[in-house]
Amino acid sequence: MIEFLGIHPGLLFGQVLIGLINGLFYAMMSMGVAIIFGMLRIGNFVHGAQYMLGAFAAWALLNLPDLFPGLGLPSLNYWWALVLVPLGVAATGALTERLFVRRVYNLEHAYGLLLTVGLALVIEGMFNLWFGAAGQQYGVPDALKGGLNLGFMFLPIYRIWVIVAALAVCIGTWAVIERTPLGAYLRAATENPDLVRAFGINVPRMLMLTYAFGVGLAGLTGVMAAPIYQVSPQMGQSIIITIFAVVVIGGMGSIAGAIVSGIGLGVIEGLTKVFWPEASSTVIFVIMALVLVLRPQGLFGKETQAHSGTDISVSRRESILENGRIWLPVLTVFGGAILPFIVYPVFAMKILCLALFALAYNLVFGYVGLLAFGHAAFYGASAYGAAHVAAVWGWPPELALLAGVALATAIGALFGWLAIRRQGLYFAMITLALAQIVVFYAVQASWTHGEDGIQSVPRGTLFGLIDLGDTMNMYYFVLAVFLIGFGFIYRLLRSPFGQVLKAIRENEQRAISLGYSTSQFKLVAFTLSAMLAGLAGGTKALVFQIASLADLHFMTSADALLMTLIGGVGTLLGPIVGAVIVVTLQREFAGYGAWVIVIQGAAFVFFVLFLRKGVIGSLEDWLGRRADRKREAG
Amino acid sequence: MTTDTIIQTRGLTKRFGGFAAVNGVDLDVARHSLHALIGPNGAGKTTVFNLVSKFLAPSEGTITYNGQDITREKPAQVARRGMVRSFQISAIFPRMTVAENVRIALQRPTGFSFSFWRGEKVLTALEDRVDELLTSVGLIEWRNRTATELSYGRKRALEFATTLALDPELMLLDEPMAGLGQEDVHRISDLIRQIRPNRTILMVEHNLAVVADLADRITVLARGEVLAEGDYESIAANDAVIEAYIGGDID
Ligand SMILES: Nc1ncnc2c1ncn2[C@@H]1O[C@H](COP(=O)(O)OP(=O)(O)O)[C@@H](O)[C@H]1O
Ligand SMILES: [Mg+2]
Repeated sequence: MIEFLGIHPGLLFGQVLIGLINGLFYAMMSMGVAIIFGMLRIGNFVHGAQYMLGAFAAWALLNLPDLFPGLGLPSLNYWWALVLVPLGVAATGALTERLFVRRVYNLEHAYGLLLTVGLALVIEGMFNLWFGAAGQQYGVPDALKGGLNLGFMFLPIYRIWVIVAALAVCIGTWAVIERTPLGAYLRAATENPDLVRAFGINVPRMLMLTYAFGVGLAGLTGVMAAPIYQVSPQMGQSIIITIFAVVVIGGMGSIAGAIVSGIGLGVIEGLTKVFWPEASSTVIFVIMALVLVLRPQGLFGKETQAHSGTDISVSRRESILENGRIWLPVLTVFGGAILPFIVYPVFAMKILCLALFALAYNLVFGYVGLLAFGHAAFYGASAYGAAHVAAVWGWPPELALLAGVALATAIGALFGWLAIRRQGLYFAMITLALAQIVVFYAVQASWTHGEDGIQSVPRGTLFGLIDLGDTMNMYYFVLAVFLIGFGFIYRLLRSPFGQVLKAIRENEQRAISLGYSTSQFKLVAFTLSAMLAGLAGGTKALVFQIASLADLHFMTSADALLMTLIGGVGTLLGPIVGAVIVVTLQREFAGYGAWVIVIQGAAFVFFVLFLRKGVIGSLEDWLGRRADRKREAG
Repeated sequence: MTTDTIIQTRGLTKRFGGFAAVNGVDLDVARHSLHALIGPNGAGKTTVFNLVSKFLAPSEGTITYNGQDITREKPAQVARRGMVRSFQISAIFPRMTVAENVRIALQRPTGFSFSFWRGEKVLTALEDRVDELLTSVGLIEWRNRTATELSYGRKRALEFATTLALDPELMLLDEPMAGLGQEDVHRISDLIRQIRPNRTILMVEHNLAVVADLADRITVLARGEVLAEGDYESIAANDAVIEAYIGGDID
């Protein structure tokens, strides 16, 4: 057999083929995401879960007799699935739109994303409970079994079929949207949703059908993917992050753009597997970073207006809990001091670490209004950095912590610099995708020890004096770190810089017109937030004596969001309250497997729909109204 | 180029999709003049403002400010050069106090704006100037109220005070009288008269009485193009202008 560049052609073409198939799946998925975003302004994070739903539905149809014995149901094969599943998944999409998504149209973009993150967690958690994390096999349909022997490679018929069918779907969707009157309406609606509302079209129904269509595409992709990949509850989560990166690269400007960038990136990923296997999982994310530098609006994106507002405006009345109240810092110090006598010190330390993490996150989300979605990168990078220098180089804990913080700050500055070029939902997608690079790096690098992580990190002796091996010593060290972080944020919010952040959040256009380069302020705030997240992560590594992939995982970013949301976005105390609630929940449900995920997902949905101001924000509202009533009465 | 011209546009064009909202506009604003930009709704006045203040990038054409090409600059950059704009819909920081609204503008030239480690105290030196500005626009007794509580006319006055805090060389005012009652119109007119010395003002205004009263020079815009330019008398006598207004919507 002839080889070129030292590569066996069978391997080369095999990977290109897989890349092409992946790329077509990316194309189908990102078309759905782009259509939904265009019409509904919703960043449909649940798209991955809906894809997984499609694959599972196909599997379930095949196994109907085993799943529901005694009902005498027939086993419905692949061809049935191909017709029934997209319709079924689209129907669940329509229902989801009616019950949930519709309620957030008039809210800031951030809530749409948070809602769909919650829905994704609920769905994936439920499937995990029902079917376990292990995958199911879905055989290739009989008619498409076998393959062609091309001499240098074996070409499975099923893959040929997938390429032809997926291409047909892509071209068909493109034709409908770009070449029919219906598509013209859709495009008009994407350009100017208010205009279409004015046309007297039944807009609610149009939105519902659009959502259902996009979701149906995800379901169809799931069916087609089922015979190729393992059908597992996790299959959606990794693909959605990739899809977001594809969307950032392609831009949401055109359907053709989504198709071309999806396919192109899939093929590039396949080629990378041949020539530089270690880089194959990150190549799409690295390309995304390059595109952001060279062409921020995306390859096919239209130039967007340079300055738009923030994702979330948590404008609220003067905080009655915070203003000039001296008891706030006193209470925090006192509460922190007695906490280890109320709960286990280790549990208390976990709360403090995560509370600091949430406080850091709230700085960008609550006070700058940027929906960052990858703070686990800073938390985890610092954990790994601190763990490595403490365990391998034998650095004392204070220096190890500083090293971790420095690493997190550097990564934060870089990611912030890249992400700040785009606003709104793109900012969320970009930070999420960039954080994924760190995850893949940690999986591959040798010093991070892959799945094991860095274990048995020594706690060491603080300043050569205080033995942190002692639990109470460790606790008070963690408390001191937490209070420093808390004090830092408290001070920052009242500083001249904090005033500018407030002005930006209140009215960014006006702040610009006064001469503030608002992007620079956002970047500094983002970097400081990464630094504080790093402080939390490094401390956590010393407390639990381990840095692991879980610290970098998407769920850790989601935790930060959830703690902030539950406690109250843009409140000073909210993230602390949120951390207490989330950490307690996680402990209570620790023995129940994926229930934790389901509960957390449900909490996202509940707080977005019913308690957007969170615990502290709602409390402040109530106190404020009471004060108003008193003033009126008196 | 002449130094009497503070802002000059050549062939300024902005297309949205295929539609040219502003089409080949040449505008010369003389230093220390009050130049009014008028025209029917949708004529492209706000778009011209957005282009000149750099909030929009032009599709074609150039903009010079004090003889320097600012076509590629960022909006915050030109603001720091001394060109400060207002917005058609009043632009304040609603949840900040009236005093904080003005102080945030005064703070910008101090160089403290990135000081996240300093306390609010470094800003107290600005309070006297804040009070001076608030007194000049008649808002001093509101200084500690949240800005959102103000009436629309007072919000306009607050926006004015905030703009003035930067002591801008060139002010762009987009319909400063829109939505105001007669009394507030007088108040803002007086304010404009008061701040005019040593300043250039480019103003979009629908209230022709105000324009007649204040403007040194008027440019009439229609369908994105300059229809006429001159002083009030010549504009009022111009047939094309009358037709554009009757054909359009004066409101
Ligand atoms: N961002 C935009 N996108 C698309 N069209 C716009 C945009 N801004 C303004 N236009 C259009 O440009 C034209 C001029 O608008 P504008 O400058 O606001 O007019 P004026 O201020 O004179 O009333 C209008 O037809 C308006 O619909
Ligand atoms: Mg206008």
